[in-house]
Parts: sequence; C-alpha cells; structure tokens
Amino acid sequence: MPFSFRIQLFAVIQVILTALFTYIFVTNEYRDLSEQNVATLEAFLIEQKQQELKNYTEIAKASIQHIYAGAAKDDPVAQELVANILSTLIYDGHDGYFFVYDEYGTNIVLPTEPYRVGQNYWDLLNDKGEPTIQILIENAKNGGDFYRYPWNQPSTETITEKLSYSDFLPKWGWMMGTGVYLDNVQQQLISVQTAIDEHTDNTRFIILFVAMSSIFVIFTIGTILHFTQKKESDKQIDQLGQKIITLQEDEQRHISRELHDGIVQILVSIKYSLEATGKFLAHQNVEKPVPLIQAQTNLSNAITDIRRISHHLHPRILDELGLSDAMEALGKEFSERTNIAVTITKPALSKLLPDHINITLYRVVQESLMNIEKHAQATKTSIDLAIMDNWLTLTIRDNGIGMYEMNENEPSLHSGIGTRNLAERVKYHRGQFKLSSSRKGTTVVAKIPRSAFAHHYTQKQEPILAESI
Amino acid sequence: MNTLSPSPIKIMLVDDHPMVRDGLSACLSFYDDIAIVGACNDGTEVLQTAKQCLPDVILMDISMPNQNGLEATEIIKETFPDTKILIFSMHESSEFVKNAVQAGASGYILKDTDSEEVYQAIKTVAQGKSYFGSNIAQMLLASPTNPSNERLTAREQMILSHIATGQSSKAIAHTLDISVRTVEAHRRNIKSKLNIDNLAELVRYAIEQGLVNSA
Repeated sequence: MPFSFRIQLFAVIQVILTALFTYIFVTNEYRDLSEQNVATLEAFLIEQKQQELKNYTEIAKASIQHIYAGAAKDDPVAQELVANILSTLIYDGHDGYFFVYDEYGTNIVLPTEPYRVGQNYWDLLNDKGEPTIQILIENAKNGGDFYRYPWNQPSTETITEKLSYSDFLPKWGWMMGTGVYLDNVQQQLISVQTAIDEHTDNTRFIILFVAMSSIFVIFTIGTILHFTQKKESDKQIDQLGQKIITLQEDEQRHISRELHDGIVQILVSIKYSLEATGKFLAHQNVEKPVPLIQAQTNLSNAITDIRRISHHLHPRILDELGLSDAMEALGKEFSERTNIAVTITKPALSKLLPDHINITLYRVVQESLMNIEKHAQATKTSIDLAIMDNWLTLTIRDNGIGMYEMNENEPSLHSGIGTRNLAERVKYHRGQFKLSSSRKGTTVVAKIPRSAFAHHYTQKQEPILAESI
Repeated sequence: MNTLSPSPIKIMLVDDHPMVRDGLSACLSFYDDIAIVGACNDGTEVLQTAKQCLPDVILMDISMPNQNGLEATEIIKETFPDTKILIFSMHESSEFVKNAVQAGASGYILKDTDSEEVYQAIKTVAQGKSYFGSNIAQMLLASPTNPSNERLTAREQMILSHIATGQSSKAIAHTLDISVRTVEAHRRNIKSKLNIDNLAELVRYAIEQGLVNSA
C-alpha cells in the first residue's frame, strides 16, 4: 500500500474515532441533561399546581365560611347551602370543581356527575388499585394533603393523572377536595423533552455531517494528491528512462568512436608497418616469412571485426553525413537483405540535427524496418524525411498486412516495448509519434518541432569558422 | 618503379593519426615516382598546408576532429581546382563515396587497402582519372543512383547559412578566406539546386528548414 494511502487511512480512522466519541459523549450528556431538566420542570410545575389547589381550597373555604361558622353540627339547611355553593365553584373550564364526601365515603357534591350524589364510594379502586376516596378522606383528616391518582377527566372523558387536595370540615365530618388534571403538565414536559430531543438530533446530525464531510474531504484531497504524485513520479520515471537511454547512446557513441578512430587506426598503422617490412625484405631479396603473412591476414580480420562492432554500437555515418545519408545506408542494406524495395526522400540540406535527435530518429527507422522485416510481409517500403510547417517529419510506410493481422499471431511483438520506447524517445524531444495500421500496411510517423533543432547548425559551425579564420 | 617520370608526383597526407601517416609513408617511400611533400592532422589545416607544399594529390581521411575530409575537399577544390583528392577512409558505405564525389574527390579507397593499390590509385588520379577501390566500385554499381543532385554540399550549405544571416558575398568571401567569384559560383549552384531565384526566398527557405534560427 502506498504511503499516501496509509496516511489517508490513518486520518479517516482518526476522524471516525473522534466522531464516534463525540457522538456518544454528546448523546449521554444530552440524555442526562434532559432527564434533569424534565425532573426539575416537573417538580416546579407540580409545586405550582399544589399552590394553586391550596389557593382554590382557601377561596372555597372563605366562600362557605359565613354559613359553616354559624351552622350547627347537624344542620341540613346549612349543609344544603354549602353543598350548593361548592358545586357552583367551577374553574379551569369544566375540569376544575369541588367534590365533597362524608367521612364514610358517601358523595355529597360532584358538579360534573350530580347523579352520583348520595352513593357510597368508600371501596372504589382507581387504576392504580388504590381506594381513592379513603385516601382523600385520610389526607383531609390529617390536616389536608395532596394525592396523585388516575381519574376520569370530564372534558376529554379519558383517564388522566389527577392531583387533588383534600381538606376536612370537622364539624360535619365532610371531606372537601378539589383537583387538577396533570395532562397539560405532561404535555409541557413532553414538548420540553421533544425540544431537547430535537436539539440532540440536530447535534448528532451535525456531528455525523462534519465527520462524513471530513472523510470525504480527506479522501478527495488524498486521492488528488495521490494521483498528482503518481503523475509526477511517472513523469520522473519517464525522464529517468530517457536519461538512461541518452547516456547509453552517448556511451555507445563514445566506445564506437574510440574503436573506430583509435584502435582501428592503430591497427591500420601496424598493417602498413608490416607491409613496409615486407617491402623492405623484398628489397633485400628475402622471401616474405609465413608468420608475417599470417600476421597481416589476422590483422585484416581484426580490423574488419572491430569496425563491425563499432558500427553496431553506433553508426558513424550519422555523425559524419547526417540522418539522411545514414537512413539511406540503412535502407539500402535492408533492401539488399530482404528484397523489399525501399524508396527514400530526403531534404536538400543535411546535418541539421543535434546528436540526440539524430540517433533517436535513426533508431525509429531501424526499429520500424526491423518490424517490417519480421512481421509485415511487405514488398514495398518508403522512408520520407521532410521539413515543413515548423516540423521535421519522418514517415515510414509499408504495403504489408498491417498490425491487426500481426497482432493475431504475435500480439506482444508489435505493440510491445520497442514501439512504446520509440514513442517515449520521440516525445522526449518535444516530438510526436504515431503508429497507424490497416490491412493495406503500416505507417509510422515521428515529428520533431523545428524549434528543437533550428539553433543547431549555426552553433556547430561557429568553432570551425573561428579556427579557419 | 617508373623511372621515366621526370618529376615525382607530390603527395600530401591528411589524417589525424600520425601513426597511420607514418605507416603509409613508410610503404610509399619504396616508390620512386611519388614524393610525400606534406602532412596535416585536421581539415582546418588542409588549405594552409596545401598552400605551402602545393601537392598534386592529397590523400584525405574523412573522420577528423574539427572539419571532416569531405568539407576539406571542397575547400581545397575552391582554391586548387587542379589538385586531385583521393579519399582514404575507414568508411565503406556508398553514401560516403557519393558525398566524396560530390565534394570533388577523384577517387576513394579504404584505409586497409594494400599499399600497392594505394600507389596505383595515386597514379590514376594524378593522370586526371577516377579511381575507386575494387569493393567500392562494386558497391557503387550495386546501389541505384538516386538523383542526389539537388542536395547541397557541406560547403554550399555553410554559404547558404551565411547568406540567410544577411551577409553579402563580399563579407562571406572575407569570412571564409575565398574569392568573391567563388562565393558567387556557390550562390548560383545553390539557387539552381534549390530552384530558387531570389534572395528573400533563399532566406525564407533556410529558416523554414531550420538551417538558421529565425529568432
């Protein structure tokens, strides 16, 4: 795995972990906070309700005081009056009312359901399984207290949590109470809870969004970075490859020159020395000794061999006469070897190209001719070199069977290393390389911009001129 | 050993390898009717040396460090049209031979030719004939003679580059140390080979072909 990907992965994991941690932490915090909030709020609301109920009870007591204070222990008229007053004390829509029971659980006042008056509810159990009336009477006798229990709410006809306060009228043994339904408290609590939940969800969403977008950004940047780096390194590899090829060609040229201009010349001089020795001996009327003849023969062979090696390493004709003539020599040799006709067209001028371009185009011709010889089954080939429209264009055409046919049999050969290498080499000189093929033949075109060599000829002439003046 | 010859043929050797020159001199010293009158290392020295020793035949190597033997041949022929040039080279391909002939050489032999044949070649070109080594002659016959007349010689190309950079014939003559007439002759040849008859076209052609930089 490439280094950049590892860093990317590391960053992504970091982001995921951070996001996860934040997410869990925030969720917990919010849950605790919301529970606390709701509890506090509920306590506050209940306390408010309790205060409210006490107030209502005080008001009710005040409104019956003038009758109750002067009434006797058993005073049906006063009791009737008080019951009437209490049953008219309605507040908070229909849900706020006063109820009265005697200490044995018989109903005396119940404005919402007056038909129940006179019936006994001592044993009535609410949904919690508790005897409601008994508890209310108990609370009342104990000096007044609150009781929470499920009860039918008149306005909605549903069982709702009810908070009641009951007080005692000791003279008559009456339990007087009033209660509020806690549905709006519940609603308030729920809406608060919902608001907090919404807020939590928002926060969670933000965390997720930030995490996802961070991962996306890391991936995008990482990928872009990776590809830019790859492109850059590919380019460097290409350049390095070309540098190696250039160095190799330079080295080959150097060795070739050393052989051709150094060693071969020395051998030639030895050859003439041996000949001179022969002539000297003839002058002295001495017969030429056999070892001398052998030496001369061997020497000739050595010269031929070294010249062949030198030519193979680097064609000297390229340096001495330029690309046109080197190409022509190549074509002629090819034609003699393969019996494929070669026609060559070339510009009127020569030696315009710097060494590196020269050898590159020479290798293009060499490689193309080799491909034609091996695969194309051609009978005619043309090599055209022309300079026009700011480009030097080298075109090698054959009338062979084309690349498609070749590919079927030997797919790796034609589209392989050789051609790709040539393309890279030509592009290295800011040139273009194109290989096109049909069943009527293959065309290789290599183009070099004039600007890559236009300065070369005059520059090369300068030192010679300077010397000849 | 032609003792009838009143004066020996004067030979000048041009080769950047003193050992080769020495070896060849040693061989040729056995022939009385030729005399080695001068030698030099490089194309750039040829004209100067020739002016001093006035040779009949110059044995000219092709590959030399600064100026090759083909360019040197043209330069000699400008000043000494009667001096015969016999190319004496390691290069075997027919392109070299064609270029040599185009430059004005009378003969072409390979460097590993036996000294006897070298002697024969010298004698032949001195008489105003052409001489090509046996393998060279075969090669010339085998290669179809592409009409290469329209190609400029090295010297013509150099003069074209001077023309294209705006120099007059007089200036070029001065720079190259040759007569204005010679420059004019080259100029005519260039125009006829390229089939161009005015200066502007000539300059445009040189730029278009990348001989000189337009910038």
